[in-house]
Amino acid sequence: MSLTRELIEIMGALMMLRLSSISGAARALVCATSVFATSVSAEDHTTDIGTLDKETADKAFPTKPPYSPYAGRYFPTRPYFGDTHTHTSYSMDAGAFGARLGPKDAYRFAKGEEVIASSGQRAKLSRPLDFMVVADHSDGMGFFPQLIGGDPGLLATPQGRRWYDEINSGKGAEAAIDIITSFGRGQMPKGFPTPGTPAYRSAWRETIKAAEEANEPGRFTAFIGYEWTSNAGGNNLHRNIIWRDNGAKASLVEPFTTLPPLGSPNPRDLWKWMAMVEEKTGAEILALAHNGNLSNGRMFPIIESFNGKRIDREYAENRTRWEPLYEATQMKGDGETHPFLSPNDEFASFERWDKGNLDLTEIKKPEMLEFEYVRSAFKNGLKMEAELGVNPYKFGLVGSTDAHTGLAAVEEDNFFGKTSSSEPSAGRAMHPFVKTDKAVIMGWETTASGYAAVWAMENTREAIFDAMKRRETYATTGPRMAVRFFGGWDFEAADANDRMPARVGYTKGVPMGGDLSSAPTGKSPTFLVAALKDPIGANLDRIQVIKGWVGKDGLTQERVYDVAVSGGRKIDADGRSRTAVGSTVDVANATWTNTIGAGEMITVWKDPDFDPALRAFYYVRVIEIPTPRWTAYDAKYFGVKMPAEAAMTTTERAYTSPIWYTP
Amino acid sequence: MVHALISRLLREPLLQFLAIGAMLFALHGLVGRPGTGAPEKIVVSASRIANLGDGFARTWRRPPSEQELQGLIEDYIRDEVFYREGRAAGLDRDDAVIRRRVRQKMEFLAEDMSVPEPNDEQLAAYLASNPERFRTEDHLTFRHVFLSATRRQNTIDSDSNQVASVLARADAAVDAAALGDPFLLGEEFRGVSATKITNQFGERFAKRILAMEEGRWQGPVASGFGQHFVFISERVSGGLPPLDDIRPAVRREWASARRLEAEQKLYASLRERYEIVVEAPREKAAEAASR
Repeated sequence: MSLTRELIEIMGALMMLRLSSISGAARALVCATSVFATSVSAEDHTTDIGTLDKETADKAFPTKPPYSPYAGRYFPTRPYFGDTHTHTSYSMDAGAFGARLGPKDAYRFAKGEEVIASSGQRAKLSRPLDFMVVADHSDGMGFFPQLIGGDPGLLATPQGRRWYDEINSGKGAEAAIDIITSFGRGQMPKGFPTPGTPAYRSAWRETIKAAEEANEPGRFTAFIGYEWTSNAGGNNLHRNIIWRDNGAKASLVEPFTTLPPLGSPNPRDLWKWMAMVEEKTGAEILALAHNGNLSNGRMFPIIESFNGKRIDREYAENRTRWEPLYEATQMKGDGETHPFLSPNDEFASFERWDKGNLDLTEIKKPEMLEFEYVRSAFKNGLKMEAELGVNPYKFGLVGSTDAHTGLAAVEEDNFFGKTSSSEPSAGRAMHPFVKTDKAVIMGWETTASGYAAVWAMENTREAIFDAMKRRETYATTGPRMAVRFFGGWDFEAADANDRMPARVGYTKGVPMGGDLSSAPTGKSPTFLVAALKDPIGANLDRIQVIKGWVGKDGLTQERVYDVAVSGGRKIDADGRSRTAVGSTVDVANATWTNTIGAGEMITVWKDPDFDPALRAFYYVRVIEIPTPRWTAYDAKYFGVKMPAEAAMTTTERAYTSPIWYTP
Repeated sequence: MVHALISRLLREPLLQFLAIGAMLFALHGLVGRPGTGAPEKIVVSASRIANLGDGFARTWRRPPSEQELQGLIEDYIRDEVFYREGRAAGLDRDDAVIRRRVRQKMEFLAEDMSVPEPNDEQLAAYLASNPERFRTEDHLTFRHVFLSATRRQNTIDSDSNQVASVLARADAAVDAAALGDPFLLGEEFRGVSATKITNQFGERFAKRILAMEEGRWQGPVASGFGQHFVFISERVSGGLPPLDDIRPAVRREWASARRLEAEQKLYASLRERYEIVVEAPREKAAEAASR
């Protein structure tokens, strides 16, 4: 077959071309991975290499190609992007700020429809989201009477009958006026539900209804959920609760509130309630906390703020059982780490909100920081696991918006702000967001972030929820980049060139959120790491692996490794590339170009400093090249001058759930 | 200071309650109360107690214990005392939170009453006049050969020409993807909607390939990642489904349209009850008078 022969020739030519013309970024990868390959080849496990080589060869010229190499795959192939944290007008504070959009509108917007924002502007996402949780505050969800339900007692009265008929014949507005007038005069028919009676309509039921209507398995997932807004002393301990199930199960209970005696601000009581819900309604639910940065040392405690005692095993077990995820980035700042905690990490100072607690009634002290950020929580979790036998802080990562506008819009050039009063306007950056006599957080400090990415089998409540439970998730600050992270003992350089990295990843290792244990003698953990930029977004600067561990001395440690860098930069022997990627941002015009950075990166990395006796975790951070921050787009669009201290560029990023190593 | 206080009050519901409580307490101490007349009565009726118990049961899926019920009643009384005193002190007036909440309730009222069960005729009419809302998307199954812009910075065009000439003679059986670079999200996409393609490859790419024919290699098509050659093996064209297939969606959209309509109607007729006088701001009025 001449075609086949020609293919072989062309293939060969292309391979040569590929190697000779390979970009700087790829060259760096090759360098990094070839070093690694040498170390691997010294080891004795040739089976996988042999198999892979044969597969690679076979795949180029299969005599009988399978109809679909993807048939029969049982692993997730696409990340789904969503928001686990959108507030609507049903949240009392959102309503107070002028939010007009309810859950139904929030879901429509997430599905890509154009809506009219509360400020009267037209709003649309660049691309629809795949899933969303409308998470309104649990406290203050009660509303007012269910006016028509065909209640026989009510229908027996002439007034009730008349209203019912009017409503059913489309004259609802007339009936409404009549009802309001009658209310005002105290002339309500007997049996008409008054506030406080069981027929009293609850926003919870409306929330459920909106999710049920918006949910379209396979196309868009609308989760049922709410936010338990524990705010004791102004310190943020908020958690969002998500149901795996449909409305039939979710409507069997009312949300747990934070005000005693019915509710409680203590997470231990929330967990009790969650256990009750699963036991009595058969539902499956999970909780994810957010904004430890505004908790003033209370989000990831070693000493519990509610009783002043050391975290015990019961706390650890419950926390890890009910809270598989944490929202690491959102509009009220980024929560990965802090320069005080990670002084050797030049990317640590990112969208910091570290002036105080949520309402700025208490100023931040440096010693609080350790108990507020993701990385230090992962580290302390390892230490506590050694002590309690359970790691309370073994959670995966997502980002979400915490928009109080009903609009999950966090792209830098399409940022609809935190509250309806901070929707796009010329002055929004200059208005204080919170202001007390102690400190002020300005509007420009609001972060246009983030989204949750989930490697689920399909776009359904069940599949996405299950992926969240197994922590196969990552956080992004807004861009929809695809990030893969697998850990195992046998990844080798060639795996980075496999045609189906995911298949190799799942075959030889565990995905993000997973566990490694019992290290084979003489082996170190290896990782397959890859990232693909947002199709309409900026190129990538670098991929990093962040390792944390507990040393022999019992002290926690952390280290950042650059594992893939773009533009042919060098990774030094210490695993760092200290040359910055540069910047193409034109702040005045709010533009940038993809002339630096890389569109994609893939590599295999091996921990060069592994001690099988020590607990450790590894997670991936992907950094984009610098791009204009929302403040730059605002300045350009509205023709305003931003305050000198306002950041005008940003480096968007993604954080994966860790892979933990337990001896 | 007042401004700061108000903006802080608006921030979080819990704080609002605490702050209102604190203000009340202060007010009470300052103003005191004329100690005349019999004390006002707060009656916690049997039905109220039953209702408090129901609320508890809806949260906890069990009735409250005697002690818990007592706690709920005590809390209700505390609520009532503060609420009455607060209203008497006028704290409900000029409070943006309370005003918006009340407005929201009125808007909900209209919504609540605007949605009778529609009949098929109404739904069919709605569907016919809003077809664009319900049209299903085209779905494609395709494979691609990917040439990475990152890996082939300077040679992507010549590589692309070579691949094009090979693929021009290739058929479906050739595993052509091996000609290109690995793509993190895979080589084959099965039954993906136009939206999904846009999400994963960008709008330009989606538009190009949605317009392509099936059954042969075509390209290159540019994306943010590089260039792609595409083989479409299957296309399911979108269209307007019959009402029976999409009744819940049509019902939802119809109800949503009615909801907006009803709200506007309610507002219009309530507004009619008022004679509205908007006074010009003082400086402007003075300016106008001096002219």
